[in-house]
This record gives sequence, C-alpha cells and structure tokens, in this order.
Amino acid sequence: MEIRALVVDDSGIMRKLVMRSLLESKLAQFMFTEAKDGVEALAAFSANPINMIFVDWNMPNMNGIDFVKEVRKIEKEHVPVVMITTESTMGKIEEALDTAGIDCFIVKPFTTETLQVKLSPLFDKLSEPKKPGGFFSKLASSMT
Amino acid sequence: MTQTVCEYWNCVTASAKDVFASTCGVQLEETPPEEGCENESLVLAVIALVGDVEWSLFLGLPTGTAVEVAKKFAGFDIPIDSPDMGDAIGEMSNIFGGKVKAMLDPKGVKADISLPTVMRAEGLHMMSQRQTESQKTCYSSPMGKMWIGVVSGKNAGLMA
Repeated sequence: MEIRALVVDDSGIMRKLVMRSLLESKLAQFMFTEAKDGVEALAAFSANPINMIFVDWNMPNMNGIDFVKEVRKIEKEHVPVVMITTESTMGKIEEALDTAGIDCFIVKPFTTETLQVKLSPLFDKLSEPKKPGGFFSKLASSMT
Repeated sequence: MTQTVCEYWNCVTASAKDVFASTCGVQLEETPPEEGCENESLVLAVIALVGDVEWSLFLGLPTGTAVEVAKKFAGFDIPIDSPDMGDAIGEMSNIFGGKVKAMLDPKGVKADISLPTVMRAEGLHMMSQRQTESQKTCYSSPMGKMWIGVVSGKNAGLMA
C-alpha cells in the first residue's frame, strides 16, 4: 500500500528520523510531505492528498493538537494521526486522544521497532476489507 | 506549591541517564564538579519547565561531545557550525525535558515544557541569583564530558 504521509515537526532532524524509521519499518510505501509547524502543515494538508499524518505536539506558531483539531474540521474522511512527542504524562495522552482524536501516540525517543509495534495495528486496519465511506476508506483508495 | 530543586534532583539525573542510554546507547558516569567542563567551548541547550516548578533546565556539551552526541542521535555526521547541530541538540534537550516532566508527574509535580533554545558559549558559569536555587551534575561518557543543571525561581538566569 502507498501512504502519502505528512510529517510535522519543528526539528528537521526529527523529521528525517521519522521518515527514515518509517521507510525502515517497511509497513508501507511512503511518500512524504514535510512541515515545520501547524500553520505550514495545515497549508500542506489542504494542498496535497494526505492520507496519514505524523505530528509533534510542541511546535511554534501552531502546536500539534491545535493543528489536528483544524484538520478534523476540514477533512472529508478520517485521516489517521500519529502523534510523536516527548509528552508522555497520562493527562497529556488523554488530552490528545480525547480532544483531537489522535489514533496513535508514540513517545520520543523511539526506535524503528517501536514504530513497527505501535503502528502495526493501524496498518492492519488498513488491510481489512473496506466499507464504502468507512473509517479508512480514504486510505483504502490509495492502496496499490 | 513550591518545590525545591534538591528534592527532585534524582528525577533530573535519572532522566539524563535514561535519555542518553536510549538515544545514544551510552552510560553516563557522574564525575566530581572539579572535572566539569564550563571553561570549554560549549553547545548549551536550555528548556524551561513551568507549573508547580519554575525551572530552567540546562544541558551543556563541549563541542567535541556535541558532535558525537549529534552523530549518535541523528545517525549521520553533523558539523559543529551546521544549523542541524542546534536542531539535534535542541531535540535532545526536548526529550530530556519531556523525560524530567514525566518523572515529576507521578510525584504530583505538574509542569509544561517550553521549546528548547540552543546556543554556543565560552567560559560559562552558572551563577545563582537572589532567591534562586540551583543544582548541577557533571558526567563523563564514551562521547565525552557533559553537564546538566537546573536553576529554579523567577529570577533564574545565566551569566557568562
């Protein structure tokens, strides 16, 4: 399957590490679009056919949670969001899951193996038979 | 609620050891203060924890150590003068601050972390100001020497 991923982090090094780990995970074929904050990411999301988002929490201009809340307002179908962040307290994780509908939460630092373990259930869902208009139908439409 | 740095210093040192073990695969060994590295050319990262505590959290790396840490963290060489150096060490300090926050949380100490600031410094000395409290620990590692520090209080600051 092919994933058109938006990778959002104010650290260029972290964006490289995320993209490299995703490629090494071999969970899918990835095409990447990068953004350094929520504002830039929102523009990229609107301008590109993004079907999965990997986003940091703490960023200048617009943080990851506010960005995802904006995405939820404009997305035509649910776009899975993976938050990759140093925030690891239960209160923060609950906030991300409850208020922004984050699909997967990964704490930095992470390894490729961690990504594989945490993301496998998400990608397993993508492999399930799709219902028209269903949760991951937008992703399913990009499966090759 | 006001908390002293000393009361939770173990959380900070444990966080530093955990972060460098998990990101760089190295063990930090505590060294006496006189073997510290303030007088060397440093890459210095600063991140704030603000909430029940008001801390400025410092990560000081001599340039040789910084080059090794950045290479381990990123997986490729990063010259000391590259913008990527600040990016890599800033992200290390971000992970460090996040770990400290996570270790304080179950103790009932709530705080938010700021974005990191990274700078180059020469001849640096942490100077406690009135009504502030500070702690510092120096380490040796296979990547070189480094130190961590916290200055607490509204007047927390750094003077070179």
